[in-house]
Amino acid sequence: MQIFKDPNYDFIKYRWHAVIVSLLIIGAGAAMFFTKGINLGVDFAGGASIILKFRDEVPLARLRAEFSDATIQQFGRAQDRSLLIRLPQQKREGDYAGAIVEKLHTDMNPEGAGKHDLNYQGSDKLAGLLQEADPDARGTNPNAELHYKDIARKIIEKRSQLGIFTSMQQATGVEGVSTATVRVLNERTFLGRFNVLNQETVGPQVGSQLQQKAFWAIILSSIAMGAYIWLRFDFVFGVAAIICIIHDVLISMAFLLFLRLEFSLNVVAALLTIVGYSVNDTVVTYDRVRENKRKIKKGMSLAEHLNLAMNQTLSRTILTAGSVFLVLLAMLIFGGEVIRGFSWILTIGVISGTYSTLLIVPAVAVAWDHWSSRNSPPAVPSRIDTPRVDSQARKRKAS
Amino acid sequence: MLIVAVLVVFTVAIIPTVNNPEPIRRGLDLKGGIRLVMRVNVNEALRLEVDQAMNSLRMQASTQKLPVPVTRRLNDTSFVATPPAGVPTDAYEKIAGDFLPSFEVTRAADGLHFRLKSNIASQLQRDTVDQAVEAIRRRVDALGVTEPIIAPEAADRIVIQLPGVDDPARVKDIIKTTAQLQFRMVEGGSFASAQQAFDAVPANLRGQVDILPTNREDEMGRVTGVEYVAVNKNIPVSGRDLKNARVQKGRVGEPVIGFSLTPEGAPKFGALTGANVGRQLAIVLDNKVVSAPRINSQITNDGVIEGSFTQQQASDLALILRSGALPASLTTLEERTVGPSLGRDSIRQGVLGSVIGFILLVAAILLYYKGAGVNAVLALLLNLIILLGMMAYFKATLTLPGIAGIILTLGMAVDSNVLVFERIREEMREGKTARASIEQGFSRAFATVIDTHLTTIISALFLFQFGTGPIQGFAVTLLIGLGASVFTAFFVSRMIFDIVYKSTDRAKELSI
Repeated sequence: MQIFKDPNYDFIKYRWHAVIVSLLIIGAGAAMFFTKGINLGVDFAGGASIILKFRDEVPLARLRAEFSDATIQQFGRAQDRSLLIRLPQQKREGDYAGAIVEKLHTDMNPEGAGKHDLNYQGSDKLAGLLQEADPDARGTNPNAELHYKDIARKIIEKRSQLGIFTSMQQATGVEGVSTATVRVLNERTFLGRFNVLNQETVGPQVGSQLQQKAFWAIILSSIAMGAYIWLRFDFVFGVAAIICIIHDVLISMAFLLFLRLEFSLNVVAALLTIVGYSVNDTVVTYDRVRENKRKIKKGMSLAEHLNLAMNQTLSRTILTAGSVFLVLLAMLIFGGEVIRGFSWILTIGVISGTYSTLLIVPAVAVAWDHWSSRNSPPAVPSRIDTPRVDSQARKRKAS
Repeated sequence: MLIVAVLVVFTVAIIPTVNNPEPIRRGLDLKGGIRLVMRVNVNEALRLEVDQAMNSLRMQASTQKLPVPVTRRLNDTSFVATPPAGVPTDAYEKIAGDFLPSFEVTRAADGLHFRLKSNIASQLQRDTVDQAVEAIRRRVDALGVTEPIIAPEAADRIVIQLPGVDDPARVKDIIKTTAQLQFRMVEGGSFASAQQAFDAVPANLRGQVDILPTNREDEMGRVTGVEYVAVNKNIPVSGRDLKNARVQKGRVGEPVIGFSLTPEGAPKFGALTGANVGRQLAIVLDNKVVSAPRINSQITNDGVIEGSFTQQQASDLALILRSGALPASLTTLEERTVGPSLGRDSIRQGVLGSVIGFILLVAAILLYYKGAGVNAVLALLLNLIILLGMMAYFKATLTLPGIAGIILTLGMAVDSNVLVFERIREEMREGKTARASIEQGFSRAFATVIDTHLTTIISALFLFQFGTGPIQGFAVTLLIGLGASVFTAFFVSRMIFDIVYKSTDRAKELSI
């Protein structure tokens, strides 16, 4: 099977169209950024992020009233009964999310005063409680401690499986729980209204440091890539590669803004991966150009060389992009809520990387080449407008 | 042979055994747990050093029968000592030279300025952070958390990662409690307000007392509010003199904390209790009076701390006292807690996504390259095994982005194969034999594959440098995967080709 039989596309011809399309997308992204701003995640904006799973109905109105400055949205599917609460930056450092969760827990579980909440607290506390009550009459020896720890761990393990207990039977039905223990559980514990799936606090200091680190990581790795390509190939390609990286990062950011995704640490990881990936395609093209230059003695313009190399490597470009895309598509659909932003950015980055390799990189390289040889910006010279890759060039290469 | 050996070694590494039920370590985002970044308030330690220096200057002055200077702290690292008018400063400078070598002394209009030397101050800061790390480690170990990470970061920070902890609030309390335990004499109390407590102290004693809060309790021992006690500033015995602490049952079966003293602490405690029979001794924890029992007789070795504790509180407090106090308080800068259920969901979804992605990938390769596709798929599988094996071997942490990283690496590993195969096809189109095409395909694609991998490795290194937790996990899987991919594309895939096409020159039969 073969996708392309002797491809002979003229990529250089369409380079200005591509530049315009890219600029439009980036421009729209910039407009989005300046009008609506970027949706900074807790990693960078600071503040608190809390995910709660509720036992029965979700008290959305109550929470919205209580935290007027918070963004509250559904987490996952509706039947998960989970909410994501985002609270803005505090001026002071401290355990913000912890304090909020603690307060919510007291407010929402008035019936539970003095009792142990099976949906909220962990196995250590439960083990302590059981050992104190000692329903199985094990005394105070170390074995008794192990016995109750084991029971407590099993109960909390069950809760992890279910996400939250909705009835006491789910907890008391756990293997190894004696009738006496069930009595203690019924007497001294209760099922609170929510379980904490996730809580994060990022203080002002850490937040701003992470922002800087992310910024520099992207800038420096782009420069490192450019330098590598400059050393391996030549200066023109190095510049083109850096511009191509910036292009891909900007396009991905634009889509991040269009899709209103959260800009988080994971997204930065995705952007850095794109930096590496987008250069990959470019390297393959350059390698081919270099090889062809060695073989074909007769003068060909850079544009002709690029066109030839891109056609020769086209099926590889599409195949690789396609296979990575397939994988990412699966991650996007089945990978779950936590890495959704990450998968989106990678997917867009891969598409943009392929597109920029085929259309943007040659545009930059050719423009730079013309500029540096004439020392003036090119005005779309007609000579390279239609550099046909004829079958002669192909034959020459083969010999 | 090499390949078989690699296969066996790495397969063994990732098979769970009884001794090693979790061969690949899961990150907090998959296992659940806590990550904390704490700032150690090192300025407290500096201030303490300055306070002690002020005390010893005054003490030395009085033992040398000099007029006692008035001392005042200027900031965290310096203080000023003002002798009475007309007294020359020379004698005090001599004391400073003899007893306060860590201070620089300069003369000024208002007396002598003492400033903690900067190298000593920074050493003190480092020591404070190290001591805090040690104290936290002892506490975490006592809690029985497996594979904790407790490490200093930057000048004054500590990063704490506790996988598998399911009770974040309690663990945070235990870590953050400074646990400065002090035994101090009660000078008056208790009173309903701090002002009343202060007013009740005789005027000449006011400079020597602190007013500290305590719980008001009813007859049943239940907490009903706050009251205030005046206690002496002098700290004759502190938590450092404690050898051990454990939970005991009190008179009515309530939990209390029994402690025993070190050989150095016991005589100090004996002297204190012996000289003050009939008076109240305040047991102060983190500037709060937990109890103030009356001293009935001299105590030397053991004692009991009573207070309105629950069983859990008592055992946590005993644990904290055993593991020693923190040298300074901690402030939370960053906190991330992942509940075990979210981790479980994440794994299920991450694995589902990966498996489906992998199946799609394999199907696409087989469809496109047919016979040679099998070859690529085998290389891919080996790549996966090497990747997981290396992670187990280096004890690298698998995180959620790491799972995505694995699958992405596989996508890129396919790229190596694609580069080679496309090259082989090209060579064949030019009419070469199968063997010559394979030969040429591999050697020509080599430089390209190295280039593409190197660029990605550069970005993975930046990721590793920049990233925290999950992202580092991603970078690690990417790095290992890229290495494995070069190996599998050039050795494994090549070898399979060689085996199949060794004997014959079946140019027409090469399935690619």
